[in-house]
Amino acid sequence: MILSVGAVVRVGLLLFLAVVLQLSSLAQISILGGHADLVPLVVGAVAFYGGSVAGSATGFAAGVLLDLAVGSTLGASSLVLTAVGYAVGRFREVRDPSHGLLPIPVGAAATAGWVTAFAAVSFMLDVGANVSPLVFRDMLVTILLNTLLALPIFTGCRWILRPCLVVDPVEVRRRRRPPRESGPIGLRGLEV
Amino acid sequence: MFDKKVVRRRRAALAVFVGLSVVLLTAYFGESGGGALHSVQRGTQEALAPVETGASRALKPVKDFFGWVGDSVDAKKQNKELKADVERLRSELAKAQTAQRDARELRGLVGLQRTEGYPRGTKPVTARIIARSPTVWYSSVKIDKGSDDGVKLDQPVVASGGLAGKITSVSGGTSEVTLITDGSSFVAAQIVPKGAHGVIAPSVGNPNDLLLQNIEDGRRVTAHTTVVTSGFTTPKVRSLFPRGIPIGEVSKVDLDEVATYHRVHVKPFADLRSMDYVQVLTARGTTTVAEAGAP
Repeated sequence: MILSVGAVVRVGLLLFLAVVLQLSSLAQISILGGHADLVPLVVGAVAFYGGSVAGSATGFAAGVLLDLAVGSTLGASSLVLTAVGYAVGRFREVRDPSHGLLPIPVGAAATAGWVTAFAAVSFMLDVGANVSPLVFRDMLVTILLNTLLALPIFTGCRWILRPCLVVDPVEVRRRRRPPRESGPIGLRGLEV
Repeated sequence: MFDKKVVRRRRAALAVFVGLSVVLLTAYFGESGGGALHSVQRGTQEALAPVETGASRALKPVKDFFGWVGDSVDAKKQNKELKADVERLRSELAKAQTAQRDARELRGLVGLQRTEGYPRGTKPVTARIIARSPTVWYSSVKIDKGSDDGVKLDQPVVASGGLAGKITSVSGGTSEVTLITDGSSFVAAQIVPKGAHGVIAPSVGNPNDLLLQNIEDGRRVTAHTTVVTSGFTTPKVRSLFPRGIPIGEVSKVDLDEVATYHRVHVKPFADLRSMDYVQVLTARGTTTVAEAGAP
């Protein structure tokens, strides 16, 4: 991702929208006992398209914003989301994936990492009471819902971030056209 | 990608953000509720509140839609659960009511034995009614006690309140009781105290009405007096029923009927249509004339 004021504004806008939507609406829509969580999806999307540095920075910012808005332990969410953003960004850098449906497993993995690690951190830091097994059901539902939401969220994030991206995986995929099978003999079999 | 500078920058970024998070955590835990970080948090919440309120209002239809879907799903589930609850509670209620009724009847049976004038030493065998005659013409019930329990033919049977009938058929584990409302039933009876003698006969089809007939001439009969078994004994024959078992209460005295047919109407004490427990008096017992009285 190209580090610029525009990029910061776009990412900041994305995070702000995600946190506000999450707190004001999505957290109140209960489906099968759980709810969708936009924040890890947005962090995952920024990391997926922007890389590990952008991912960890976005994760940290999202975590701070989330903790400030919710009133939970400051630093807990940012710690986990930093790790999530970094991991997704590294996956993108190492594998250089371009498959159109990749946002789905990436979103699911980012959400799974977020809910699991955040549960662990919260349990270690704050929660002194007994934990109901229903927590696992809620976590599973959140992962499932986020898996369904991953593709449209990633697409929306890519659309917003596209001007700041160094490499757009979709463009890379489009450029990978099949080799020519007709035309001058010298050009056949080449990607021209 | 493999540029050392890029790698260093990437690792540095991760370290910085993780370190910042840990610092924030430490500072947050270290400070009091009125500290700087807590104040920033409160300020952020206050600043975000109007935005969240606006977003919440704007997205209310979406929430309502999902809420409606969720409520519908929940309502279906709740409906199923509530139906199961109703079924269970009905079953429990039925059991409780049955137990209550059983207890009432058994209390009645015990109370009957304590009645003044009731024969002593009758060795009652308590039995449950397991079958009833489906017609009004043959008033009989089957009980779950038989010859194995000491039940024999012609033994009197009492229910909660008073006389119910007599044993007319016995097998090893069951017996048949012909009720006093059966068309073939006749019981020597007496109005107490020191009242007229007569014979209790059924009024077929109406289990709440018995007739005390063959009343002696010139004996005054009044309503609401108690009728008990007379238990007459002569050198050649004696009543199957011991003296003093309550039968019922004189419910109607029609002077013309008394003068012409020598009979009055008696309402049985025992609820013969809905009784569940009876006692078979396996011994005749003893009763003194002076003891015979109302239940």
